[in-house]
Amino acid sequence: MIWTPELWHWMSPVWWVVGLILVVYFVMFRPIQPARLIALLLGLLFLSMAYVSPVGYLADGFIFSAHMVQHLLMLLVVPLCLLLSLPRKQPKRAADSSDKVPALKLIATIGWIGGVGAMWFWHVPSLCTLSTETFTVGLLRDTSFLLAGLIFWWPIYGPLERTRLEPPVGVLYLFTACLGCSLLGIYITFTSTVVCPVFATPADSLGILAQLQAAGLTPAVDQNIGGLLMWIPPCMLYTGAIISLLARWYTSVDHDHSTTTAARLT
Amino acid sequence: MLNHDPVETRESWGLFSWICSVDHKRIGIMYMMLATFFLFVGGFEALLIRAQLAIPMNDFVSPKMYNQLFTLHGTTMIFLVGMPVFTGFSNFIVPLMIGAKDVAFPRLNALSFWMLPFGGVLLYFSFFSGSAPDAGWFSYAPLSTKPFSSLPGVDYWIIGLAVMGIGSVSGAINIVATVICCRAPGMSMQRMPLFAWIMFMQAVLIVITIPPLNSALAMLLIDRWLGAAFFEPARGGNAVLWQHFFWIFGHPEVYVFALPSFAIVSEVIPVFSRKPIYGYSFVAGSSAVIVLLSYTVWAHHMFAVGLGMWPDIFFAATTMLIALPTGVKIFNWTATLWGGSIQLTTAMLFAIAFLIQFVIGGLTGIMFAAVPVDWQLTDTYFVVAHFHYVLVGGIVFSLFAATYYWFPKITGRMLNERLGKFQFWIWVVGFNATFGVQHFLGLMGMPRRIYQYDDYPGWYLLNLISSIGAGLMAIGTLVLVWNIVRSLRHGTVAGRNPWKGFTLEWSTTSPPPLENFDELPEIRSRRPVWDRDNPELADWKTEKTPEDKGYRPPACKVSAWAFVISEAIFFILLLVSYVVFNSNSGENAEGPTASTALDVPRTGVFTLVLLSSSLTFWIAEHCLRRQKMGAFKIWLSFTILLGCAFIGGQIWEYTGLISDGITINRNLFASTFFTVTGFHGLHVTGGIIALSIMLIMASRGYLNAKRSPVFAAVGVYWHFVDVVWIAVFSIIYLGYLQ
Repeated sequence: MIWTPELWHWMSPVWWVVGLILVVYFVMFRPIQPARLIALLLGLLFLSMAYVSPVGYLADGFIFSAHMVQHLLMLLVVPLCLLLSLPRKQPKRAADSSDKVPALKLIATIGWIGGVGAMWFWHVPSLCTLSTETFTVGLLRDTSFLLAGLIFWWPIYGPLERTRLEPPVGVLYLFTACLGCSLLGIYITFTSTVVCPVFATPADSLGILAQLQAAGLTPAVDQNIGGLLMWIPPCMLYTGAIISLLARWYTSVDHDHSTTTAARLT
Repeated sequence: MLNHDPVETRESWGLFSWICSVDHKRIGIMYMMLATFFLFVGGFEALLIRAQLAIPMNDFVSPKMYNQLFTLHGTTMIFLVGMPVFTGFSNFIVPLMIGAKDVAFPRLNALSFWMLPFGGVLLYFSFFSGSAPDAGWFSYAPLSTKPFSSLPGVDYWIIGLAVMGIGSVSGAINIVATVICCRAPGMSMQRMPLFAWIMFMQAVLIVITIPPLNSALAMLLIDRWLGAAFFEPARGGNAVLWQHFFWIFGHPEVYVFALPSFAIVSEVIPVFSRKPIYGYSFVAGSSAVIVLLSYTVWAHHMFAVGLGMWPDIFFAATTMLIALPTGVKIFNWTATLWGGSIQLTTAMLFAIAFLIQFVIGGLTGIMFAAVPVDWQLTDTYFVVAHFHYVLVGGIVFSLFAATYYWFPKITGRMLNERLGKFQFWIWVVGFNATFGVQHFLGLMGMPRRIYQYDDYPGWYLLNLISSIGAGLMAIGTLVLVWNIVRSLRHGTVAGRNPWKGFTLEWSTTSPPPLENFDELPEIRSRRPVWDRDNPELADWKTEKTPEDKGYRPPACKVSAWAFVISEAIFFILLLVSYVVFNSNSGENAEGPTASTALDVPRTGVFTLVLLSSSLTFWIAEHCLRRQKMGAFKIWLSFTILLGCAFIGGQIWEYTGLISDGITINRNLFASTFFTVTGFHGLHVTGGIIALSIMLIMASRGYLNAKRSPVFAAVGVYWHFVDVVWIAVFSIIYLGYLQ
């Protein structure tokens, strides 16, 4: 079913965005480092798949859980890959808290509120429906996800050492973000309220929903899965990031000598 | 290091000096003694349970008594043995390990301790009321609600746990502040001994894991005393919500116990292998990760409830995931043993037994992560066997390792090794006899918590073996007690470092003096005492560790942040209950709802009043830092007045609602509304009291620019109360999420 041609939106305008990012990257960040290029390509792959693949099609008013997958890709995965693709300005010596920019607290606060708040904001039932039904609002939502994701990850994986949080603070940042998205996920999973009404009565133009519903994916189960996707995978991603932060923290002495692979990439 | 004068200046050994003590070592010892006392109580209850189950159709105790026994056994072992004994070790050892003179807040430490016996007495006083709690240690609703448990036993259970919870959270905040703020120069966080680091993580976990229990307890108490129906399905409540709240607390609680065990083993195995730990960073980092992951797996305790297929799948996956950081640590400890000069002291024997038995408990835990297995085995003796392998085979064994390892430091005398090994083998046999066979009983279908059983094939024999094993454990414990009593009088004098340990506690006398150290060795690695004793082989020569940058934030601010994080979780759970009970309230609600009962514009005005108090506070703080005391007092007074005005508005609102017949027991909207806003009001009132104390201090000249961090700490709380209100106003009054 996933290979049904109608589910693939090969003419999506997202290719323009992908092309633009590629051009800008190759112009601005030469010489290209292979590891960073892989991160960029992964990011662009996820970005394009969020719209071109059946995820993009089904997210457009058919299946809530596909809509959630698209959001998670745009908010968490794509920005993370894009940030990791940027060349990092290595400090000349081991990181020191005195090197940090004075506005780091503010940057982190905005990043946290942006990253966690975007999800909460766009899942107010009326806004969720509006953004799914109206192209321009949907575009605004997706752009805001990408931007919010970038500012969210910036204090953790931003290219400038001076704007990165100290690892223990970064752990707290991610831990509380996990709680924030968990709460939304728990709410969406267990609430009897229809979070995004447009998905409760979708127009089944391709006859796919009948098959999915016959397989047990009723709107209630769909919302259930959407909530769980909001809840568990982001926390797992944050956990991975916490592990990388701790690795960075414990190896912070080794900047000038031997850094681990993880630390090199992050 | 500490920046206050020592709070105890002379040595004294009278009883009164112990009661009044604020020394972290004495408080640590008192924690351990209290835990030992309750170990006997809880152990005696366990023996009665096993006596009852030793033979089929026994009527040694009555059914009611049996229910009380297993309820109190579980509650006692968790709250009055497990938590205090680890807090005791943490209290005694952590400040020594990080080179501190005492904990960050010695008086708070004493308060935290004394809450515990108070809570314990409340719990056991229930016997005198004629009805000890009998709804199980997790007091599932609706059994624990008034219609099914009308006598006051459950009330004593609730109040006892709430009191102990307050003590636990304040004690944990103290450890957090101590580790962050009181480390000796050179002791960077990355150089901390694993025991100190993991106990720090455990304290963080306590700070965030007790509040969900407190929320649940508060709601159950309101159900029972004020006639609400949060957990009464017959009146629209939700019994499963209790399970969610309880296990959001209950599963991380397992790690509140497991982390200290990891901490102990991570000290004992390296010292008796004569090697540094293998993979320090992994052991430390994975302990931090466990804190996070432990919060994402609670629903695996509820697979049989009927959450639905998808939640079951997701929680099964996360449960399997959390096994990774724990499982790999087993390899760390094993690799530490590999190639080491192993000394099989009693402490080491217990640590090795921990490894083996904990793996068994862990593996059966992974079995439960598979949902169909859980459905088959839940509430059978297989579960009892599983968690006792974790809690006793793992955790109690590590506790014995800690006892033998640190007893010389605590008392100055060595425990007798021969008696120790005797105890070890009695325990190994007794423990495995007791709980090993329970796996088979569970597989054969024997349910847990049954009072009697018929003489099914094999049940009698296995139960008898289990009961005999319990008796052996009791005998083993008596051997330890005898060993302690004997060693206190006649034990070999320990000296500073009898085990040739690596960490700072071994650099001072045994027992350590008041304020702990005459002088500290230079700290340049994770094993400063090893470095000092073996300068040629010093760790810092071969392995660099991150330098200490010397930054120590004010302890008062750190503790204020820890406190508000704890309180935030408490409020989040209350707000979750509001959302649960008020979603779609317009469709089938009976009686008042938020839209029909509340005056939103009026409360909006009072919201602005409260929020503006944050601004006036900020100005006051600014004035204090610049030593403009007159302006400071004026702005602080404004802040207090604005807080009082908000409370006045709340009283006005409550009066109107009550006069309209909207009371807390009217319906679930009223119950949740009064609970959330009531607790918030209490917090504002507490803030006003704190601000008033600040004003009095300023008037008497005790508060000045130098002490502005203290005021800033109060500010953290005051701003937090405002932020909570923004959430409350958005959700309750503006209907966000409904």
